[in-house]
Amino acid sequence: MTVLDMRDVRKVYRSGDADIVALDHATLQVDHGEIVALLGPSGSGKTTLLSIAGGLLAATEGKVMVGGHDISEYDGKQLTEFRRNNVGFVFQSVNLVPFLTAEENLLVVDELGGGKGGKGAKARARQLLEELGLGHRTRNLPSQLSGGERQRVAIGRALFNNPRLVLFDEPTSALDTKLGAQVMELIRNEMKARDTAAIIVTHDRRMTEYADRTVEIVDGRLGAEAPAH
Amino acid sequence: MFLALHEIRRAKVRFGLLSGAVGLLVFLILFQQALLGGLINQFIGAIEHQSGEVLVYNGQARKNLEGSIILPAQEEAIAAVEGVGEASPLGEATFTVMAGGSVTDAVLFGYVLGKPGAPTTLIEGRLPEGPNEAVASEKDRDDGFDLGEVVQVQPDGVSITVVGIARDINYSVSPVLFTDFATYESAKRTRNPDAETILPSAIAIHLAPGANAAEVAQRINDEVEGVQALTRQQAVDGSPGVSSVRSSFVIILGLFYLVVPLVTGLFFLIVTFQKASALTLLRAIGARSRTLVSALLIQVLLVMAVGSLIAFGLYAVALQGVQNLGVRVEVMPAVYTSLVVLVLALSTSLVAVRRVLRLDPLAATTGVGVHL
Repeated sequence: MTVLDMRDVRKVYRSGDADIVALDHATLQVDHGEIVALLGPSGSGKTTLLSIAGGLLAATEGKVMVGGHDISEYDGKQLTEFRRNNVGFVFQSVNLVPFLTAEENLLVVDELGGGKGGKGAKARARQLLEELGLGHRTRNLPSQLSGGERQRVAIGRALFNNPRLVLFDEPTSALDTKLGAQVMELIRNEMKARDTAAIIVTHDRRMTEYADRTVEIVDGRLGAEAPAH
Repeated sequence: MFLALHEIRRAKVRFGLLSGAVGLLVFLILFQQALLGGLINQFIGAIEHQSGEVLVYNGQARKNLEGSIILPAQEEAIAAVEGVGEASPLGEATFTVMAGGSVTDAVLFGYVLGKPGAPTTLIEGRLPEGPNEAVASEKDRDDGFDLGEVVQVQPDGVSITVVGIARDINYSVSPVLFTDFATYESAKRTRNPDAETILPSAIAIHLAPGANAAEVAQRINDEVEGVQALTRQQAVDGSPGVSSVRSSFVIILGLFYLVVPLVTGLFFLIVTFQKASALTLLRAIGARSRTLVSALLIQVLLVMAVGSLIAFGLYAVALQGVQNLGVRVEVMPAVYTSLVVLVLALSTSLVAVRRVLRLDPLAATTGVGVHL
């Protein structure tokens, strides 16, 4: 079953009298449990596509369906609610709230959804952190964690609400090769264990081996697809 | 609440320092307000807390009882003005007296018993019921003006027994005795035995039912030659020295009322800038703007509440040291002041709120260039 269905999506920015096409008639489907690597150089439109898929940015044209929701016509408030309930994000660098511990960075998702961070939510946060190998770090602030640990907490936060789709934007760019590989392995295992769809944006071809499918993007156009490794 | 409280918990020193600073500033406001109230009461408490709703001075007295006399013809004319219920002589003069074994100055206010001009803030004892009795000020109890003590006008003048104690009835920073008009006349004759008539300093007026003080005062000014009628509040505000003291304090207090919200607003603006990345991240993962704004406003409320508590504590302690100025802890004015400061602080924090509302969640994808 398709979790993400983007059809003929365009994103055009106006700059003076000129139109800059960031995404040009992009069509992409991602199924349940499928991990898609979106590969492309800087400025190719990877993050724009990811942002549109995640409801951070509205498309200029085209249709975007996520988990059965047509978010193409959503307004700002609807997109905020959509992001809160349906999508998990792991960003490139700014990923954690610095004044919250690892556990609280997960619980904040529950809080934003109107929960009270009760026993159930705490148990789930601890369980997730345990699974991610951070059971001993629940009370540590982000500043007390290593880069890899921070990314793992961010993965835990992205998974906390059982989203249909998790979007990873260059999740290993701030990590060394060995740590990057460990994080990618973890992402793959967690997504597969939960049958959750994921798009991983990267410009590092080595990271595509953890994906089921690789889609290349150049100058806003989706190009050749490579099968799983 | 979750975000607001957790952030405060992780930055106790920062928020503690702000609360302390707010506390000190609010304390200064409270203290200066109390000081102003105390000083004003010391100057003109007797006028403010006597029962006449309108006071009529001599037109050339410049609102100063010391330089005012009212002639019998004027008194009659005043009593005949529409809206005047009762018009009664009020005498005021400063005398040297023997009180508590010491010679000191005291101001005697003489009024006709049962008529306008009586003290209104009696807290102990009773009003005078005949000659040689007086109500004294609470503030001067320890200086020989307590209940049952006898004060003698010097030299060898009338002896007056204190039968009542009233609050805030000082005048010209001196002890005050409210006596009946005949006792006042006796005291005046001690100083000037040959005086044929003792003229009142002013006329105190009770309004007729339904009459308005300002309108009656205006009518008296229009109809009676050579007098200046003032409502009680006008008489207080216009007393020599009071307006300049008040305006000096108003400037100082105004500056403090400006500084507290500015400090608070700037603090939260800086904090908002510092945590812009975290706020953007929260917006990106689905936090409503309302949630982030609420967290900010809760923090403002908590800082102001803690600051106010610190201020109340300092205020109560500090006023113990200046009781001789006639100031005391008054809860409601302190609460009102805190509420006003809170509203002002919330207003200036709107700049930070505006920044939060302008956060673009898309900026979380770049990690840099978080737009505020």
